[in-house]
Amino acid sequence: MNNRHGLLQSINPSCKLIGLIVLSFALAFCHHPVLNLGIFAAAVLLILLSDANKKAFFIPMIPVLLLAVGLFFTGYRFTNAASDVVNMEVLHVGSSQIWNGLIFASRALVYAGIGLLFALTTDRIRMIRSFHKQLHIPQVFAYGLLAAWGLLPQMMLEYKRTRMAFRARGIRVLPFSPSLLVTLIVKSTRWSEELSIAMESKGFAADSQRTMFEPERVRTRDYVFLAVTCVILPVLAVVFFR
Amino acid sequence: MSIEISNLQFGYYEDGKDTIKGADAVFAREKVTVLTGRSGCGKSTLLYLAAGIYPANAGFLRGGSVLVEGDDPAKLTPPVRCRRAGMMFQNPDLQFCMDTVRNELIFVAENLALAPEEIPDQIEAALSFSEIGHLADRRLNTLSGGEKQKVMLACLSMMDPAWMLLDEAFANVDDSAARLIMDKLLQLHREKGTGLLVVDHRLEHWWDIADEICLMEDGQIVKSVCPREAGAKEALQAAGVQVGRDPYPGIAQIRAAADSDAAQTKDADGTVPALTLSHLSVSHEKGHPVLSDINATFYKGGIYAIVGQSGCGKSSLFGALSGLYKYEGSALLGGVETGTGSVEIRRMKKADFGRIGFVTQSPQDQFLGGTVRAEVMAAFKRDPDAEARSEEILRRIELWKYRDVSPYLLSQGQQRRLGVAALMAYPCEVLVCDEPTYAQDRENTIAIMETLCLGAAQRGATMLFSTHDRQLAEDYADKIFTLEGGMLRE
Repeated sequence: MNNRHGLLQSINPSCKLIGLIVLSFALAFCHHPVLNLGIFAAAVLLILLSDANKKAFFIPMIPVLLLAVGLFFTGYRFTNAASDVVNMEVLHVGSSQIWNGLIFASRALVYAGIGLLFALTTDRIRMIRSFHKQLHIPQVFAYGLLAAWGLLPQMMLEYKRTRMAFRARGIRVLPFSPSLLVTLIVKSTRWSEELSIAMESKGFAADSQRTMFEPERVRTRDYVFLAVTCVILPVLAVVFFR
Repeated sequence: MSIEISNLQFGYYEDGKDTIKGADAVFAREKVTVLTGRSGCGKSTLLYLAAGIYPANAGFLRGGSVLVEGDDPAKLTPPVRCRRAGMMFQNPDLQFCMDTVRNELIFVAENLALAPEEIPDQIEAALSFSEIGHLADRRLNTLSGGEKQKVMLACLSMMDPAWMLLDEAFANVDDSAARLIMDKLLQLHREKGTGLLVVDHRLEHWWDIADEICLMEDGQIVKSVCPREAGAKEALQAAGVQVGRDPYPGIAQIRAAADSDAAQTKDADGTVPALTLSHLSVSHEKGHPVLSDINATFYKGGIYAIVGQSGCGKSSLFGALSGLYKYEGSALLGGVETGTGSVEIRRMKKADFGRIGFVTQSPQDQFLGGTVRAEVMAAFKRDPDAEARSEEILRRIELWKYRDVSPYLLSQGQQRRLGVAALMAYPCEVLVCDEPTYAQDRENTIAIMETLCLGAAQRGATMLFSTHDRQLAEDYADKIFTLEGGMLRE
């Protein structure tokens, strides 16, 4: 049914989430730019090799890169060793300063990389199904989330529509002004009621027994993924890059 | 087997009036039954009670009972209930909870606890039954109203309920899609004995099919006729029901009325263009333009109807004109060339806002005030007489007593009146109305068209409206355009 091309797309979403969270925690304790940049490079490679929307990767990377550059100079300028007064001497290129800058910058990159890796290689319907099956979140919550997600495009349209309604009466409103949002909230409440009625009339109930078509399974590759992200990489990080 | 309703009393508010006031009826599965009546007579409420949606989700059951195939639907769990009574709703936008057609069908199959190995066959069967195999992997939010109702039909055919309940399901569907859905429903009725209980204020679709037509008035079923019996038509017409495609009063008398009390310049025969579209195109998904090459000129003071199959892009065209969607090409307001007094719609500045007015399909889409009065006052922001003028308007549309109520609490007909009146308080050159009479009964339809046309005629404004109702287009428009294959033809 859904596209399962690419290494990361085929990983069970729950395993992917847990693995990447553990890895992020492990990285928090290591201050080594080579490790960070290595994992960032791997994440970028995996995204580019997948059939994820490349535009959705490059556009968020623009602010991330700017942030990384900013953080680099922060780290470069304020190393913990240098407590001298500010003078030309401080701008003298020292390797420890560059190193410190790289630590700061690479952190921004690696966390952005891991986040995007999850976001861009995970189908949301499979994710919710997997959370329900493997992490046992209640089905009413899982499908409620999916339904609410489906409302998002409608809400965006509604937001625009309300703005146009103001405009047609010659009133200019600023984006996100309260009068726009109040209208949106009133409508969302009504929509969610109608939607829950529609779901119920299609036989959905919070506590009923449902079957699962193509249930998400945890397969060997998922265990391998967990082993790599939760054990091998953290251990390597501690041993070599501490 | 049947749906039995005995002395049913139901109200939406604990201390308010009852909407259903002691209704009694037995609907047999062998018959196709149509419930009709004016907006607000309680026909949809009755259907929701039969589907077990009320009183669980809203309102208070004060007495009496509903039995569907011998059981009270409110006491059944949803998976059991949906096998008894499946519902097709009026608003197709809020029926789905997954992203694509196929995923929605999987969702239904899982709810029904079908064995995973039989699900693919069931889905194929449902898709081919509704003739929507080509839509299987489309995203639901890109489908038209008619296509969505066909998807709903596919879901229902998979649920295979004893009864199918339709709540004005064809309100936003063109004739050919309605025809297909109706044929399929009748097929189920004949082959599987599925009961059909239909709520519709327009009988034209059902007249040849229905075995029984029940008329509701003020929360009670007051009359029940068989359309094949002699005198049935007359009996219903006497009770104020629109049976066939009766002509509407039409535009001529409105123009005459406008002429007598307002000496506005008018140029329907076409020398002063008010809105010029050239090579206009709109696409929602890349590479799939909904509208490919729209060329048309609308002249000052003219009234134009736009008709077409569902999914032909009527809403997309109106969305583009109202600034909702991006478009390519040009839509020039007030002239043929860019220059003095004319402006490209997507580049409108603050001073030009209000030159083009919109009436949306659902009146709620254009509300922006917290109360009915604020809704009308919005137009007179800097007018010292705002209080007096808004009072005058509200008294005229008979909503003065609701002035401090939220517009969302009004009935559909009232909401529509308010929306139109609020817009009419503002001077505009071009009025763009997307299905202004959507889901309105005949009486409201005439009232709405009168207000709109009169307002347009008095100020010499140009009016464009879309509709599924061919008769409405013929009776009110100077010129009818057909939207087909992404192009606009006269």
